[in-house]
Amino acid sequence: MPYFLGVLLLTLAAVVRAEPAAALSELADHPRWQALLHINLGGTLRDRGNSYVDDTDFFLAENGKTDARAELVASRKALQQKDSDQRCHFPARYRFLAEQLNWNEEQPLSHCDEYREWRENMPTGQMVLVFPAAYLNSPSSMFGHTLLRLDEKPDPDSKWLSKAINFGAQVDQGDNSLFYVWKGLAGGYPGRFSVVAYAQKIREYAHLENRDMWEYALDLEPRELDWVVRHLWELRDINFDYFFFDENCSYRLLELVQVARPRARLMTELRFAELPVKTVRALRDADLITERRYQPSKAAELEHLAGRLGPAEKDLAQRLRDNPDVADSETFQAFPPERRHLMAQTAYQARRFENREGQREEDQAGKSFALLRVIQRNPAPETGSVPEPEPPESGHRTQMVRLGGGLDEDRAFGELGWRLTYHDVLDPITGFLPGAGIEGLDLRLRSTDSGPLKLEQLDLVHIRSLSPRDAFVKPVSWYVHAGWERARADGRRHPTRFLEAGPGLAWRTGGVMPYGFAIARAEHASPWTPLIETGAGAELGLLYQQPGLQADLSARGVYFENDFRRHRFRARVTLPLSQNQALRGVCERNGWRGGERDECRLEYRHYYD
Amino acid sequence: MKRVLMAAVMLGASMPVFATAPGGPGCGWGNMLFEGQSGLPIHLVATIVNGTSGNKTFGMTSGTNGCSTSGALAYDGESMLAMNGMVEEVAQDMATGEGDALTALSVSMGIAEQDRARFQQVMHENFATVFPSDDVTAADVMNNIVTVMKQDRELATYVG
Repeated sequence: MPYFLGVLLLTLAAVVRAEPAAALSELADHPRWQALLHINLGGTLRDRGNSYVDDTDFFLAENGKTDARAELVASRKALQQKDSDQRCHFPARYRFLAEQLNWNEEQPLSHCDEYREWRENMPTGQMVLVFPAAYLNSPSSMFGHTLLRLDEKPDPDSKWLSKAINFGAQVDQGDNSLFYVWKGLAGGYPGRFSVVAYAQKIREYAHLENRDMWEYALDLEPRELDWVVRHLWELRDINFDYFFFDENCSYRLLELVQVARPRARLMTELRFAELPVKTVRALRDADLITERRYQPSKAAELEHLAGRLGPAEKDLAQRLRDNPDVADSETFQAFPPERRHLMAQTAYQARRFENREGQREEDQAGKSFALLRVIQRNPAPETGSVPEPEPPESGHRTQMVRLGGGLDEDRAFGELGWRLTYHDVLDPITGFLPGAGIEGLDLRLRSTDSGPLKLEQLDLVHIRSLSPRDAFVKPVSWYVHAGWERARADGRRHPTRFLEAGPGLAWRTGGVMPYGFAIARAEHASPWTPLIETGAGAELGLLYQQPGLQADLSARGVYFENDFRRHRFRARVTLPLSQNQALRGVCERNGWRGGERDECRLEYRHYYD
Repeated sequence: MKRVLMAAVMLGASMPVFATAPGGPGCGWGNMLFEGQSGLPIHLVATIVNGTSGNKTFGMTSGTNGCSTSGALAYDGESMLAMNGMVEEVAQDMATGEGDALTALSVSMGIAEQDRARFQQVMHENFATVFPSDDVTAADVMNNIVTVMKQDRELATYVG
């Protein structure tokens, strides 16, 4: 029997050695080989058919980046020899070639001590996609980040002991911001994979940045995950170009899933403007997600705790936060131990929240420590878990088209529009962070009886962050808005380029969020004689956001240096019709030095992609 | 006046990023700046205005946060506690009597599932011994945990 096997192997080896060109080409087209080389199968426009890897160390053939077959031939040559060093660098390629070409060796990697030591510490029980959601006062975080987690087994004893797989750009410390933006867009920074302790990621996201974390367990077997782990070793210190738009963290992680399961075909369609939420949807649509879990941020825990306190207890918790000695007061001691525990927990969490980014100071540490002693002395009541919000993938899609019409005084108009991304505070709230809006490239065209379709408005950026203040957290809201619009500069409307921004405050009273912003504005319109006119003003408003209805009411005024002024009163309502459809009504009165006009419009909004 | 305003905007725009780009080239926390910022150019502006990176002062000295693709962390209790900020997490869990960080500690110390509740309870009761003051080091905490475990009949077997 062994003799027979030996003959068979020799025969096979002879067949392979004869290099049937067709077989090799076929092998080079194998989905796994393409995945291992990170070949662009059409996911982005750059470099189609070539490898995304931008590092000569990754290729064994000179033209390996552009020729998968040449790389296969070179790999076969390099990895076939026993004790080859290259085997230690490319354990996944080795597994592929050995399986395909029937290299049956016992212990083929026995000489790769470094790799084997590392491999032993990499769990392959389960892979989880982790999506840290948007966080307080940072609408840009809606775009989010994703990472992968490797667990010892499904439902691990502690995910704090799992490994995090991360793809990130390697930034030069000295780059200033403009350079940084430009380089980030143009692919000027290299991106690399890294493997770190997942506990660090929990601290960074849930505790320091206060982001809720969504975990999506993936339907991948240990055998499939072995491919990923081997391949990660191959990617050690290997550079990819990093592009914010498409070849970003989320995109690269999809490629790793592709390595685990090449037939999943996640990357064949053009994936422009890859966003984490789209990654989640792509995996869901490929039936790769088996379970979803929610890990609340520290901020959500604090809100949950504070919600369980009565007004007197809240007041006491606040005093306790500032001075732990309050714990010895009669007022505090008069409460039952469970209530004391709750108050001390709230006070401690509030301290941590405030100091999450600060340096450790002696006074801080002493007070926090004193609070922990109070917590420990009073037994914990059952607090229950933080209620789970709607998951991000249940939200509306990222791009939007709209169609509408209205009346400018008594003149009718029709409107068409498109928005590249992503969400304003009045869009359907399900799955989004309340009070946060971020829009990029929002275009509105208008036609009237008297004229053809004309540009009415083009927002380049519009970001709003309304973060309500309460007893324990005191964030400053802010907004920034830049673009092109038709604005009154004298009696008439003129094309105006503008940039405005300002800090603000917001609160929550019942379901309504009252807010106020200061406004600083710079604009350019043809009537202005110095090229740029500057102004200042304020906006006050009320915002209401519930899954069934979003609405706001606002009033604003801006006064310019040249004594011109504008004001606006506005009411808006959005009625979601389904996950990706909504109706919006807007009525506004625009006034300026010399006149006033009323306008109402109604539009249908469709979200897609 | 206008120039001043524009200059202020530009300066304001450039400083936060400058200030929050920790870590050296190549490794570690530098890449954190990009995390949570994938996608579109627009949010970069937000980032610049807001300076979002959450890693301002943390993690600069810890040896465990680099991009150590090869550096597998050995998971015994001590090295887990040595991770930046972990002592704080464990302290909170011990004071409360339960929590993920405390569970992770018990798992990393090899404590069997049936004994973990006991471990948590003993740690909770002996909080003052494990954390005698607010300036304990990770090594102190580990020593104190071992001392406490030695005095407990069931847990002593793990530190014998």
